[in-house]
Amino acid sequence: MTTYLIRRVLWIIPVMLLVALITFTLMHQAPGGPWDRDLNRRQVDASTQEMLNRQFGLDKPLFFNFEGEHILDSQFFNYIGNAVQGDLGPSYRQRGRMVQDVLFEPPKNKPIWDSKFGYSMRLGLLALTMAAIFGIPLGILAALKRNTIFDYSALFISTIGISVPSFVLAIFLIIVLAGQLGILKIIQRDWSNPAAWLVPATVLGFGTFAYITRLTRSSMLEVMGQDYIRTARAKGLGGRVIITRHMLRNALIPVMTIMGPALAGLVTGSFIIESMFGFPGSGREYVLAISNRDYSMIMGTTLIYALLIVLANLTVDIMYGFLDPRIKVN
Amino acid sequence: MSIKRQLRFVLGMLAIAVIVLSGCATPAVPTVSDAGAGGETVSAEKVLRINLGTFPDMIDPQRSSFVNEIALLKLAYEGLTRQDAELDTVPAAAESWTYNDDATVLTFTLRDGLKYSDGSLLNAERFAYSIRRNIDPATAGEYASITDEILGAPEWRGCGDDAAACEAAKAQVMESVKATHADGSACTGYDDAECNTLTLTLSRPAPYFHVVMSLWVTFPAKEELITAAGENWWLDAANHVGNGPFIMDTLEQGVRAFYTPNPNYWGQVPVVSIDFAFITDSAVAFEAYKNNEFDIIGLAAEDLEVVKADPVLSQEANIYPGSCSFAVMFHQLKEPFTDQKVREAFAHALDRDAWVQDVLRGLGSPTLTWIPKGFPGYDAEENRWGYDPEAALQAIADSSYGSVENLPPITLTFSDTPRNRTRNEWLAAKFKEVLGIDVKLDPVEATTYTALTKDINTAPQTFILGWCADYPDPQNWLSVYWRTGAFGERIGYSNPELDALLEQADTELDPEKRAQLYADAQRLLTDGAPVAFMWNNVNAYLVKPWVSGIVKTPQDAGWPGDISPWTIDIDTAAQIR
Repeated sequence: MTTYLIRRVLWIIPVMLLVALITFTLMHQAPGGPWDRDLNRRQVDASTQEMLNRQFGLDKPLFFNFEGEHILDSQFFNYIGNAVQGDLGPSYRQRGRMVQDVLFEPPKNKPIWDSKFGYSMRLGLLALTMAAIFGIPLGILAALKRNTIFDYSALFISTIGISVPSFVLAIFLIIVLAGQLGILKIIQRDWSNPAAWLVPATVLGFGTFAYITRLTRSSMLEVMGQDYIRTARAKGLGGRVIITRHMLRNALIPVMTIMGPALAGLVTGSFIIESMFGFPGSGREYVLAISNRDYSMIMGTTLIYALLIVLANLTVDIMYGFLDPRIKVN
Repeated sequence: MSIKRQLRFVLGMLAIAVIVLSGCATPAVPTVSDAGAGGETVSAEKVLRINLGTFPDMIDPQRSSFVNEIALLKLAYEGLTRQDAELDTVPAAAESWTYNDDATVLTFTLRDGLKYSDGSLLNAERFAYSIRRNIDPATAGEYASITDEILGAPEWRGCGDDAAACEAAKAQVMESVKATHADGSACTGYDDAECNTLTLTLSRPAPYFHVVMSLWVTFPAKEELITAAGENWWLDAANHVGNGPFIMDTLEQGVRAFYTPNPNYWGQVPVVSIDFAFITDSAVAFEAYKNNEFDIIGLAAEDLEVVKADPVLSQEANIYPGSCSFAVMFHQLKEPFTDQKVREAFAHALDRDAWVQDVLRGLGSPTLTWIPKGFPGYDAEENRWGYDPEAALQAIADSSYGSVENLPPITLTFSDTPRNRTRNEWLAAKFKEVLGIDVKLDPVEATTYTALTKDINTAPQTFILGWCADYPDPQNWLSVYWRTGAFGERIGYSNPELDALLEQADTELDPEKRAQLYADAQRLLTDGAPVAFMWNNVNAYLVKPWVSGIVKTPQDAGWPGDISPWTIDIDTAAQIR
């Protein structure tokens, strides 16, 4: 087990390096740079651009510096060197701020979870929790009451959840809850108020909820047809015991598998929520960094996302061992 | 259970989940501040709620360059001059200014008793600091080049690694931007109350330079606050101690910016507080407006039909000229647009009225000239190269190509968004209809497009591009754009005759002669049909009926009324919150 863990953790290093290399190469292939401005207005002047390039090290070669003092004194290797020490570089767009500060630094006198990443993390967790709390029971119900009105309702809701884009759902909820029923404000000026989080979390988690419902249902159905369930019934066990001890424990393994990556996706996927609800999360940085050519922000956000996915998968793999002794970790 | 009760139950359960998860909630930010300077309590009963769209990347006078950034800066700070409702430049922090005989020295006299919002003294030394900071290469401000007329400024900005050159140029700028007493004697620092004169020495006659001094790059943010807090000083509202009509009370990243009136403002103190939110999705902002959660929002093109059809909303729509001019750009060095007759043909083929009606849905106004209506220098008489299919065909026949078949392929390049796709497809169809030419559409990614269009070597053969005024003066429209080596160079435009005329206009001291010279220059520009002038944008906002006193100008950016926010009032009895 320990050897397995060490090996898995060590594997993170080449994976991250590869992600960094691919991202770095791709983003520098795209024309344009961080100093491009609204094309119908005054552009940053050439000598200022040169100044900025020098300030930010963008005047160095991308990979290998054959002319400088050190061959690795290049944009890529300098970035990697700093990133290893936890320095994700300066943002080119929000000048004067480091990428890690933009993402992780809370406003003055606020706790760490009030940082942009903290907000996204909390919203992602809330969305996932809600998706699981509502999705798993609904999936179980649909499977146990197969081909009844419960099953069809669950199918209906989850089909909507998977097929309706989140911005449509968001505007629908806004019109109904705020416009028609008048029970909430559309514009939240105070995110410390928990009620403000309800609609954004619902919108964010709805797709995952639908997926969890479908997955729980199909995996329950598979388990229900297994021989050991018949055996359990044959030896006279009660329905409740069969469901909780024999069906659920087995049926939820696939659901657990998707939870980790789903959380990573939810944490970073709040861009639409942010633009619609003015939510102060980090999703905006992920999306806008690309069109802004904010190179270090693109690298930083991509690497963090990659790390989240890798860690989530690792956690799930380790948890397998506990959930299902048949799955050998090595 | 009724549906409503069920809903309440579900919401209640969700609320519990939220409370459990965000148990770390911190106390609410007060919506109303009583933190008026000098212990004075400012009434914030009247709150104007505005959606500003995107949250700024930087709110630093000497570094910012985007509309939303400038909109926020203009409330907390004020320059030496400002514009009035007619876009004439009038005194602001400076009560007067004079040029020397050849307009190479500009001297400002500050108002007596100017104060910052915290009650501290604001003297000429503060403005000297800000203007020098804008030039300083260490600042690397995005609008640094806009003060290049100052003697030594381009040299300091561009001194690079040459330490000696940097020192010399810096020393020059320190001399060129000088704060003194009225009698010319040196100031002793920021506490010197007699320090009321700011003298700018320019490298060439620039009788328009007082207009430039209204821009945000001159806004006097405090040196000690910037130095103490470092590059991120602007993140903290407390560091925005300014001299504008408002005080930045609260700045929450991505969420809101709240401004209260500044009782220490030299002029009329505003009566409303302003609460900005940053919702980038226009559909949501529109719903929030209809739900009375905003008093002012931008009107998006998608919502225009709904607004026009609605008896209430149509009354609340404010649509008026904006500050940008757009044209179909022809690369002068790429065939067939090397031939003026071909350029004329394409300009004649452009049905600008149909474009504004069918494509822009009325959010724009057709134009045949460069400076837009409402700006000093607008030419209402210009009527050349307008829509005329017959003249278009004739021009092709008169060109060196003789007929349409002989023209090389025409490619229309654009930034690939759904909106631009529609626009450019319409344009291609129009050229096909009038000239019988198959225009190839070439969509590229947005930032790539910007990068391509910036450089003469990569600029496409045919594309739509515009210019939005930095400041309302013909110099900004003509000299800054069309002189050889300026922005117009990206399409290979260079006209020595125009250069000479603009040189004369830029240095002319007599206002009437100057205006005539620019008018002649604009005519001369249009003579050669370098591009097909096409349309001017409009500002479009929805404003609730209980908001009064909004003064609109073409230069409005971000929201209507920032030219005189002190006249804005709210009928609180009518306001629904």
